[in-house]
Amino acid sequence: MLQKIYDWIDERVDITPLWRDIADHEVPEHVNPAHHFSAFVYCFGGLTFFVTVIQILSGMFLTMYYVPDIENAWRSVYYLQTEVAHGQIVRGMHHWGASVVIVMLFLHTLRVFFQGAYKKPRELNWMVGVSIFFVMLALGLTGYLLPWDNKAYFATQVTLEIAEGVPYIGEMAKTLLSGDPEIVGAQTLTRFFAIHVFFLPAALFALMGAHFILIRKQGISGPL
Amino acid sequence: MKKGKGMEFVGDSRITADKKKFIPKDYSEYPGKTEAFWPNFLLKEWLVGAVFLVGFLCMTVAHPAPLEKMADPTDAAYIPLPDWYFLFLYQLLKYEFASGPYNVIGAIVIPGLAFGALFLAPFLDTGSKRRPIQRPISTTLMFLGIISVIWLTWEAASHVEWETRAEENKPVLEQEVDINTEDPGYAVYEQSCISCHGENLQGGAAAPSLIGIEYDVDEIKDIAVNGINTMPADQFEGSEEELQQLAEFIVSVNEEAE
Amino acid sequence: MSEKKQQVSRRQFLNYTLTGVGGFMAAGMLAPMVRFAIDPVLQTHARGEYKAVAEVDEITTEPQRFDWTIDQVDAWYESEVTKSAWVYKDEKDDIIALSPVCKHLGCVVSWEGSGDYPNEFFCPCHNGRYYKDGVNVPNTPPSAPLDVYEHRIEDGTLYLGNAKPRGEA
Repeated sequence: MLQKIYDWIDERVDITPLWRDIADHEVPEHVNPAHHFSAFVYCFGGLTFFVTVIQILSGMFLTMYYVPDIENAWRSVYYLQTEVAHGQIVRGMHHWGASVVIVMLFLHTLRVFFQGAYKKPRELNWMVGVSIFFVMLALGLTGYLLPWDNKAYFATQVTLEIAEGVPYIGEMAKTLLSGDPEIVGAQTLTRFFAIHVFFLPAALFALMGAHFILIRKQGISGPL
Repeated sequence: MKKGKGMEFVGDSRITADKKKFIPKDYSEYPGKTEAFWPNFLLKEWLVGAVFLVGFLCMTVAHPAPLEKMADPTDAAYIPLPDWYFLFLYQLLKYEFASGPYNVIGAIVIPGLAFGALFLAPFLDTGSKRRPIQRPISTTLMFLGIISVIWLTWEAASHVEWETRAEENKPVLEQEVDINTEDPGYAVYEQSCISCHGENLQGGAAAPSLIGIEYDVDEIKDIAVNGINTMPADQFEGSEEELQQLAEFIVSVNEEAE
Repeated sequence: MSEKKQQVSRRQFLNYTLTGVGGFMAAGMLAPMVRFAIDPVLQTHARGEYKAVAEVDEITTEPQRFDWTIDQVDAWYESEVTKSAWVYKDEKDDIIALSPVCKHLGCVVSWEGSGDYPNEFFCPCHNGRYYKDGVNVPNTPPSAPLDVYEHRIEDGTLYLGNAKPRGEA
């Protein structure tokens, strides 16, 4: 039955080459920890992706309870953490995942750097990768504000001060981020929420797509 | 296979009607023991992923995600602290050469140069050699970068008293309590306590909230007279009877709040 | 047991293992999240409290509308919600309190809401009609009788609880 459905779709859309290319590509010996234990350093990229998946899923579920509103944001987080079954774990996954993903990205970046894997022809992919790093840091920064607790509020105020310190465009940048030239409040929270939940993930997906397509296209860098 | 005009398609699409037989790869593209991504290599990756996931879940269960008190913009005593991965920037801005008139250097120039160099690394390090030892300049710079980031993070973190901080900022679900201002105890409260503990017993910058405490009448009487923690002694001025009224009033508010 | 020995190729075996490990990871990730999401379905809801609505003396054989408020706790949001009921005494002197929510699509019905249908509850949305005892008039949109409030009388005061479908109250 499944085979028939597959054949029906495949005849019309020709999907076999799409997944065959991913499934059948060759994995060389030097990246396989089964042959060289030191090849475990190649795991960090994959683990980054795995944690990113955890972040996306847990984030999706958290928005079922969270509201980006200064009156209710903290209350809703407190509620989902104390009253809802497994709320502690789901928020824990998102909270700790944010830290773990930075650690993994850092290790992955170091692996690529010290192996000189960013050299010709992979300059583009390196820049895409560093951009992913920046997007992740920005996700961490914007996500930090969302529970609207003291830590979030005051750290964000400092961030906005730093943004204001940029010459020429500083004041504009700060207003653009906080939604108001003076107040860090209701409009800041909704802006950070929108950036955290829609804008940055969209950028992240695009960059990750480019990152993976480039890897498939260029293949993994050879042994040192 | 027919080519060009003779080629047959599925309907009017560009998909060819005659399927090419799938020929498995011979995995000889690279020397050595190569293997297929699916399922051989992916299985190994997923085993690592599964072990990682178990560890990660254990961590989330063992350490609940912290949540502090609801944001209070008037809390002047609060010391802001960023997430740990921004601590190095936070620490950098404490130094003289990166703050005050040189704030732009600390906040923009130094991080901008460092991250800009990281972003443009392929164009700054253009040699064809890949081993770290064969490109000493970039390796040294990277090591310097890592060491300074780790050192700055360490410096910032070691000055924070994490435990007191967590203790002081525990989340409290503030309850709305109707405070009976007609109570004789409230009059006493107004005289001695209101300046620090606030008109609704909510606490303030100098003193904690009196709602949600677990003291009984005698203990409150003792605290009012002898002080506790940062609260100095002899804050209470009045008679023994007033002291009793005050303590009973505070206890009654707490009972109502439960 | 089949006599013929099934041959499992190495590739097949790896595929099965891969599916197993993948399933384990998906389950480990999703189990807490799914439980988190479906929590509202599994929460046990506290039974509604009885609230004083009216004095028994006020109640006549003619349905009258009474309003009262309840404290509603909606997760982190607490509010006061107004509820209402049509209350009257039937022939046996029993008190009947009907929910004004139409069983068709949830509009609000009123007693003799239309001049064309005296002695009936009328729903203005789709001309739904109910007899005085709350039973829906056949061949009008509603498919069930109006819900009935659980009630209790103490010291001459009528207390109402939750509205229940007829037959359960």
